[in-house]
Amino acid sequence: MPETDDKSEDTATFECNICLDTAKNAVISMCGHLFCWPCLYQWLETRPQGQVCPVCKAGISRDKVIPLYGRGGSKTDPREKLPPRPQGHRTEPEADYAGPGGGHRYVFGDNPHFLSFGIGAFPFGFFASSFNLAGGAGNPMEHQHRDAAGPADHQMQDQLVSKLFLWLACIFLLWLLMA
Amino acid sequence: MANIAMQRIRREFKEVVRSDEQSIKLELQEDNVLSLTGYITGPEKTPYEGGRFHVQITIPETYPFNPPIVKFTTKLWHPNISSQTGVICLDILKDQWAAAMTLRIVLLSLQALLSAAEPDDPQDAVVANQYKTKHSLFQQTARFWAQTFAGAPGPLNPDFQKKIDKFLEVAPRADRHTAIQQLSNFDWNIDKAIEDVYKSD
Ligand SMILES: [Zn+2]
Ligand SMILES: [Zn+2]
Repeated sequence: MPETDDKSEDTATFECNICLDTAKNAVISMCGHLFCWPCLYQWLETRPQGQVCPVCKAGISRDKVIPLYGRGGSKTDPREKLPPRPQGHRTEPEADYAGPGGGHRYVFGDNPHFLSFGIGAFPFGFFASSFNLAGGAGNPMEHQHRDAAGPADHQMQDQLVSKLFLWLACIFLLWLLMA
Repeated sequence: MANIAMQRIRREFKEVVRSDEQSIKLELQEDNVLSLTGYITGPEKTPYEGGRFHVQITIPETYPFNPPIVKFTTKLWHPNISSQTGVICLDILKDQWAAAMTLRIVLLSLQALLSAAEPDDPQDAVVANQYKTKHSLFQQTARFWAQTFAGAPGPLNPDFQKKIDKFLEVAPRADRHTAIQQLSNFDWNIDKAIEDVYKSD
């Protein structure tokens, strides 16, 4: 790590507020504070409850930080590294996604399985989620994103819901066959 | 993880040195970067004025995601600091810690704590009780401790001195620290302080 003692005020502006080094894979919170994504990710993991900005203690969440893409930055997509940086808040192209549920995950964040129940390709959507193949149905990036996001209890909740829906779907299919 | 911790400590150390604040100081220990000594001077217009208080700072491997472990090694009479162990009750050293906080902020917060105690969230219940019910005695006691243990200037309270001498006559096996602690615990009531020493013998 090169010593960077004599930094001017200007470059200090772009220091991560957690490691105090120049921000790598930079993200910015809604309250305007800059972090490396790996640093902020670890902070959010350390405090699964009551997530606050490490600087001003405003509410913060992984879905509400904006990645900063400078010119001539890293050539590789930072999201392919673990932990992935969250996506920018842009609307997904509709054609790529099964049904109109695509844009909803930012609104309903925690419960994508549940959404696909109401809107998506019922009932096969459940099968996909139940066997954890959701990535095949939608955008693989989104899937990766969600997995890394989940505090353990959310994942468990998701699994529970998935199992429930799997059974419901089986019963529904049986009923279809019998009718 | 320890890498972030060590890199942060080096930078924070420089920050404190460069800031040139007279009232706080930070010293690295040669053998261990993750263990430091901090110094704060007692704030003006408090019983701690002119005293120099040492804190021992231990940096966890998970720093700065978890707070440093800080305790006073100078004996101190304050509702939010254990008079026996130096353990500190301060929210930013617990659940109110945030990863962007630095050792400089911790030291300044400790100084602020000396200026503004929070007796309703005490670490030392005996001190907190004295603070609330006999505030003037609390201030005299805190001053006496700052003079005795932290080098604060000024003549020592002669009444307290006399009681300490008498205590040591009656309980010759006790040392001066114990005498001060016992007498302070019992609002400088010498009979109760001595009685308690014999009870626990
Ligand atoms: Zn960082
Ligand atoms: Zn903020």
